[in-house]
Parts: sequence; C-alpha cells; structure tokens
Amino acid sequence: MRRPDLKQSLGRLLGPLESEVGCDECFDQLDGYVELELAGGDTEAVYPGLRPHLEGCPACREEHESLRALVGGEQAL
Amino acid sequence: MAVAQLKKTRGAGTVVFAAVKSHANLSLVPAQPVSEPLDNESRTWLRELRSVGATHDAAVARLHLLLLRAARFEVARRRPTLPHLRGNELDDIALEAANDALVSVLAKLEDFRGASRFTTWVYKFALLEAAVKLRKRAWQGREVPIEPESWSLFETGGPGPAQEVFQQELLGAVQDGITRLTPHQRHVLVALALNGVPIDVLAERLESTRGALYKSLHDARRALRTYLEEQGFDASTWFEDGR
Repeated sequence: MRRPDLKQSLGRLLGPLESEVGCDECFDQLDGYVELELAGGDTEAVYPGLRPHLEGCPACREEHESLRALVGGEQAL
Repeated sequence: MAVAQLKKTRGAGTVVFAAVKSHANLSLVPAQPVSEPLDNESRTWLRELRSVGATHDAAVARLHLLLLRAARFEVARRRPTLPHLRGNELDDIALEAANDALVSVLAKLEDFRGASRFTTWVYKFALLEAAVKLRKRAWQGREVPIEPESWSLFETGGPGPAQEVFQQELLGAVQDGITRLTPHQRHVLVALALNGVPIDVLAERLESTRGALYKSLHDARRALRTYLEEQGFDASTWFEDGR
C-alpha cells in the first residue's frame, strides 16, 4: 500500500493559509457560489473566504462538488 | 456584528459585505445578500408554497420529488464507496434525506433571497441530508480514532539527504506541536485531518455540530501553524522539499 504523501498530509493538518468562512456560512452561500461559478463569474470577489473553506473542509467540498455536478448537469441538458 | 461595510456589485443586485469576527481570524464574508430579483420559476415556487389548499399541497409534492431526485443523485455518486449497502437500503436513505430536506426547506422558505434559482437552493438541502446520512452509515459501529496512528506511515524523503533531514525535522515539529494543543483541539485535529473521520460522524459522537467542530479544527490548525513558525519553519517551506 502506498504511504500517504507528506505534503498532502501536512496540507490537511495545517489547513488553508487564507481567511475562510465557517461551515454554516459556506452552506448559506453555496447555491449562489455554484451558479456564479458555472456562469464563469468572479466567485473570489463575491464570496470571499468560501474557496479556502472548500479546500479545508472535506465535507463541504464534497457537497460543493455534488451541487456543482447536479446543477451543471441540468444546465448541460 | 457588522464592523465595516463595503458594497460590491453582483449582477443586477447588490451584496453588502460585512466584516465580521469569524472564528479567530477576521474574515470578510458576505452578509445576507440584499434580495435579488427572482426569476419567474422561483417566484412561482414561492407563491405556490406560500399558498394554501390544493395549490400548496401540489407544490409541496413537486418539491418533494425534486428533493428526492437530488438525494438519489448524491446516493448514486457515493454508491461505489458503500459496497456493503444494498439497493433498498440506499433507496431508504435517499427517501429519508428527501423527507428531512423537505422539512428544512419549508421551515427556511423565508430565508431564500434569490442568490440562486430556487431549485439550486433547495438541492443543497437534499444533498446535505443525503451526504450526512451516508457518512454516518459508513461509520456505523466503527470506532472513531482520535489519537495519531500513522506517523510512521508518512512518506518522507526528497532528492537528497538534506531534504530527508528537513522533512523529518518538520514532521517532528508537527508532532510536537500537536501534543501542545488542548485535548479537545488535538482530538478534533487528529480525527478529522489525520485519521480521515468525517466531520458529521465526529459531531454525532461528540454531541456537537459540524460548525462547532470546524471552528475547533480551525483553531487547532492556527495554533499548530503558529508553533511551526515559532520553531523556525517559515510557512513558505511547509509544503516544499526544504531545499
């Protein structure tokens, strides 16, 4: 079995270096963030701190990926 | 709560930003956006869900179908990671997630501000409910490890002996820094960031919430980063080879 990569492991331990929102704020903003992201808008400016949170929180990241896939798939139809 | 306010144009509407004290860092996060002009479909959803009688009941039934579709989408995405669950168990989880999401959506209907289409807003409730239930189901009956188990398994080593030594020193400082955290911070950091325990599973075991545990994780990470800097490990070297 391959051993965990040190850099990846340190990344999970030390978390994002930028300011981030919390899980509750992330949930509140996620729908607007995803639609803006799919439209190619400036998510960094409109939702500051949300991308770093998605990098630091696996659960919120998974839910972001699911919402993006679901809504993106609908838009592609 | 608001310390300062900035205005930022977003589409046709305006978002008011408030500088708030979030966790230990001062984070700029959008305050509740000013209501956006709603699209026709979202307006219809709100009007019918706020009505009474047959129109309301029909809208609730359609909403439930929408939520069930989103919950099944999430279950299907995670199915490969849950080989021990049978199809009917997964169907039950999706239905339960849709039911719980329906309750949440109806309770929070007045919180919808139109930052997205109504359907996108409701989907996130169903995805959250399904994801949380599936994470808990996957860890049902399993012990949650809160102590470091795998330091020796970390892949260290670089192009040469100097890099190997640097990584070993950094790893040693990380381990030392973790022992200096409060017991709660250490348990949360180790369980979530080292041992891969899902945050919802740990929240259930500790009778806490995702938001509260993430704040503890955030505080632990910040304390650990501060310790590494105090030990002479500049942030720019954490993810480098130490050359």
